[in-house]
This record gives sequence, structure tokens and C-alpha cells, in this order.
Amino acid sequence: MSAALSVEGLTTSLRIDGVWRDAVRDVSFELARGETLALVGESGCGKSLTAMTVMGLLPAGVGRLSAGRIVIDGVETSGLAEAQLEKVRGDAIGMIFQEPMTSLNPVLTVGFQIAESLIQHRGLSRRQARERARELMELVRIPAAAQRLDSYPHQFSGGMRQRVMIALAIACEPKVLIADEPTTALDVTVQAQVLDLLGSLQRDKGLGVLLITHNLGVVATNAQRVMVMYGGDVVESGEVGAFFANPRHPYSRALLAAMPRVDRPTADLSPIPGQVPTLADMPEGCRFQSRCPLREEACARRPPLTPLRDDPRHLTRCVVTAREAS
Amino acid sequence: MLLEVVDIAKTFVLKQGWPVPKLVEVRALDGVSFGVDHAEALGVVGESGCGKSTAARVALRLIEADRGRVTFDGRDVLGARPAELRALRRRMQIVFQDPASALDPRQRVGAALMEPLAVHGVAKGEEARKRALAILDEVGLPKTAFDRFPHEFSGGQRQRIGIARALALEPDVIFADEPVSALDVSVQAQILKLLDDLKQRRRLAFVFVSHDLGVVRHFCERTVVMYLGRIIESGPTGEIFDAPKHPYTRVLREASPAPDPTVAKAKVAIEGEPPSPVAPPPGCHFHPRCPLATDICRRDAPALRDIAPARRVACHHAL
Repeated sequence: MSAALSVEGLTTSLRIDGVWRDAVRDVSFELARGETLALVGESGCGKSLTAMTVMGLLPAGVGRLSAGRIVIDGVETSGLAEAQLEKVRGDAIGMIFQEPMTSLNPVLTVGFQIAESLIQHRGLSRRQARERARELMELVRIPAAAQRLDSYPHQFSGGMRQRVMIALAIACEPKVLIADEPTTALDVTVQAQVLDLLGSLQRDKGLGVLLITHNLGVVATNAQRVMVMYGGDVVESGEVGAFFANPRHPYSRALLAAMPRVDRPTADLSPIPGQVPTLADMPEGCRFQSRCPLREEACARRPPLTPLRDDPRHLTRCVVTAREAS
Repeated sequence: MLLEVVDIAKTFVLKQGWPVPKLVEVRALDGVSFGVDHAEALGVVGESGCGKSTAARVALRLIEADRGRVTFDGRDVLGARPAELRALRRRMQIVFQDPASALDPRQRVGAALMEPLAVHGVAKGEEARKRALAILDEVGLPKTAFDRFPHEFSGGQRQRIGIARALALEPDVIFADEPVSALDVSVQAQILKLLDDLKQRRRLAFVFVSHDLGVVRHFCERTVVMYLGRIIESGPTGEIFDAPKHPYTRVLREASPAPDPTVAKAKVAIEGEPPSPVAPPPGCHFHPRCPLATDICRRDAPALRDIAPARRVACHHAL
């Protein structure tokens, strides 16, 4: 069976002050059906931009796909015209965002909005689409779904709104769901419920979920694999167990050491010195070198994403830690 | 205790509904008590609408309480007359989640730091300038920040400005309302380090409002957990999170995942969302979502009682 989503050498450039700069460099990954892959990193690392590129949602004139191939459910979408892309977007891939209120139309009932996509993409009649919308709202565990079909987005709480968004995104049974910080605006008990729902959709419906988050706790408990991004590069990727047991990239290590933990005392937090360079100041070679304690001469050249000898599914983009591992 | 808050309550009256608006009462605080001492941080945790921010604002008297007592360094805050209150406010400051909205975008950083000094008649002219520069240095900002505007700074640096402004009057207690929630992990660690440092060096007391249990565990020696306007558990932070006594605290703890995949994912213990403080359920506010609830919970609100040294819980069936 082919991967739900396969991305090869994806490079996204942004035009800043008239100059095109690579904001995402040469990102490759495969997302299997029924798998959750987490994409983590801090603001500006390129994780959302990667998702927008996959969705074909880059604003024209400001962002562009400069290189790479995107294959969604066996169909290559890089290079497709907008009209064809529109079809794939509703059909094979869906996306949810941090703030559902900005993605829902405030003057239409949620039932109408879910039904609309079914009429557009599946050619259902109005009545069939409404019936299916009710089923979807039950699937995402919205209580009293039949009555709530006629409610407007503002009549839902934040958690319920995110469920509506999920219902909307999976209406046409896509193979891939991109969830961009889906629980960041929610309270933790509600976050747990929404993540639980995403997990059951991934398992029961064989959905491939690309979970974009900055929260390493969410990664540890909800994903099977993880990719860490920094400065537009994937700097580490691997199985979640191996990653947390032994993070290999200095940035991954620094991120974990900077995070206060709820499960045990953290006497000493180690902030990462300095700041993420802007795109214009981004160093050639390893992007993390200006803040890295292990920096050496070789870091001036861009290190390859290297598999570890003892675990070929675990890769690090660091010449120093790749050596230490083998 | 440097700051003592005793049994404060606050009910807001709102107009709600359309086309005919009705007056509704929101019970934001319902008999909340806590205290904090020099060089100590008290965490206030809970979900949206639990009253944690209101508690901080009432203690500062930014919102007037309906009842209760707030004592700061032996002086009555809620009964203080304007001149007296102004003197007290010098020593009680607040830091907000989003410093961008707390700072005047058209005021240079230096002016923002010198303004409170002038308002309170502490220093002006060259003396004020010297103080402002010293504070910039203390919070880890360069001297050049003095002549720049807030928008020229990153989120983390802007929070440093917010902290610098709170420090300008050399307060004894700082109310910090989600001070690091908007920041990335690496920047958050920098700000927490700075706050740690200030707590030790200046012997500052903190009332630290946050929804992030990891941050609270790191920064706060003691913690109170709030649910719909009431404190439901209090005690040393580590003990509360490692061995919660209230079922809600346990739910909150289990819903906050640690970066450790070897710990089995806790099953989602409760369905539903926090009910609205407009019509809180009778008895224990948590009973509709509580796995342990019995008849008594639906009838009687449990009192906050001592359950172990330094630990208190408001639950008929404490764990």
C-alpha cells in the first residue's frame, strides 16, 4: 500500500524585502496510513510552512515551492493547477488549525458548512449531505448532534468548535489529516479529549495524521514518529520511543533541557543561548551552529541527515552526534 | 505572611441574551484564601474561567471585591484610602501574558520605565534615567533598548520589558498572570531563569497564575488549584502533582502530558468541559464531571480541610 503522504526534497521559499529565501530546505518524509507523525519545533522553524506547502496554500507572490515532490494518496500534487488541487484538498487531505473560529464561517450553521463540502466533493443531495453531517458530528462526539446541526460556530465552546473543524476536515474521508497546533488554544482536559479523538480516527479510519505542535509532552503521548525542525531544516527524526530515550541532535537535547517538567522536579532549566537567526542571517551549513555547544569546523558545511548505525530509522543532521553514535 | 488574602468573593453581573437581554450573575470568586511570603512563589492553577486571574486582580484591587480581606505587610488593602492605596501599589506589581498589549506602542522603553518613577515621585531626570538603565541591565536587555519602541523587540524581550516595568518601583510582590504562556520553550526557559533569579536576589514574592503545570512545578514552592471560583486543593507543588488528593487535580495532572513516551497514556478521565460560572452546579462544583461523586457531593459544598501537613483539600472523598 502506498503511503498516505509522501514528500521528497520539499523546499519552500519566501520573498522577504524582494529577495527569495529558502524558509524550508529539502524536507523529505513519508506518512503511512494509520500513523501519527509529529512535526515539532519553535516559532518560525518552518513546521507550519511545510504544512501549507503540502496543502498548496502558499500565498502567491510571497511563497513558492522551489523544489520537491508532494504525493498525496498516490497523486502528485506539486505542479497541479489550482482547480485540480482544490479537488485533492477536499478529497484526499484535510487540515485543522489552532483557532477554529477563524476557519469557520460565522454566519452559516455548522451543519450547512459540513454538508456543503459533501455536496461539492461527493455530489450528495442536500438531504443526504445533512444526514451524513449528523453522522460526522456524532463521530467526533458532539453531544446532541442532530440538534446542534443548526447551531452557529459562536454557539460552541472552543473544544466543540475544534470537533466541528475535525468533522469538516474528515467529511470526505481523506487519507491525510494535517493538524496544526490543534489543541494549543484549549484547556488541558479538553486538549486530552481532542487528542484522544484524533487518535481514534487515526486507528479506526486508517488516517495518516501529521501533528504539528510545539508541545513535546503531546508528541510523547500521541505520535509514533517525530521530526524536529529548526531554521527550516529537519534536524532529527525517529521513532518516538528512541527519540525521547536518546535525542541525538544538540537542538533536540537543548529543547528538552529547556522544558520544565510536570512529572518531576526540574531544579535547573537550561535556556538555549541566543535566538533563532532571521532568514537573512541564517548561517550556511548547520543552521543551529551559532547556538550549539558542540560546534566544530565541519559544521560550516550543511550536514546530511544521517541514520544511526544501531537504529537506521533514527536520523540526525549533525556531524558531531552522528559520529558519537556510531 | 507578606500578603494574605482571606475569603474573597466576587460576583460579576452581566447582560446576556438577545433580543431581550437578561441580567446574569457570574460567580467568579467564591471564598478564596491564600498567602505568600518573601522569596516565595505561589502557583494558582486551573482552567479557563476558574477565577485565577480574577483572584490576582481582586488582591491588587484592580477589581473591587464583594467581601473578604487582603492584608499586605500588615496593612489592609481593600479598605485603603486612595493615597494609602497608591503607596501600597508601589510595592505590588503585575506582569501580564501579553506585554505587547500592556505597553504603549508609541512610548519608548526608557520612558515606559521612568513613568512610574515620576508618578510615584520616586525619581526624575538623570536619577530616573540611571535607574531605568540599571533595571534594563538587571532583566538582561542592552542599554540601547532605552531609546527603542516595544514593537522592535521579540516576544521574549518584550516580556523582559514588562518585567522591567514591574520592577521599576522595587515591589515586594509580583502578580504574574501567565507570564510565559505566549513564549517558545527556549525563550520561556530564559524568562523563568530571570524570574528565579529575581525571586532569590530581591527576595520577591510571586503570585504566579498559570495553566501550565510544568512551569508551575518548576517555579512555585506552593500551589493552589482552583475550579469554578473555589480553591479545591492546596499544598507544596511537588506533592500536589505527584499525589493529588482531589479528583480534579488528578484529572488536570493526567491531562498534562510529560515528554516521556514510556509512561502509559492516561485514559481521558472526564468528558465535557468546565461548566460555565454563570450557573455553577450545586454542592461540589466538580460533581457533574467527577468519577467519585455521590449524593453528598450534589448537596453539600465540601470545605477546604487539612488532610496532611501543609496540605488542604475540598472533597468529600479525598483520594
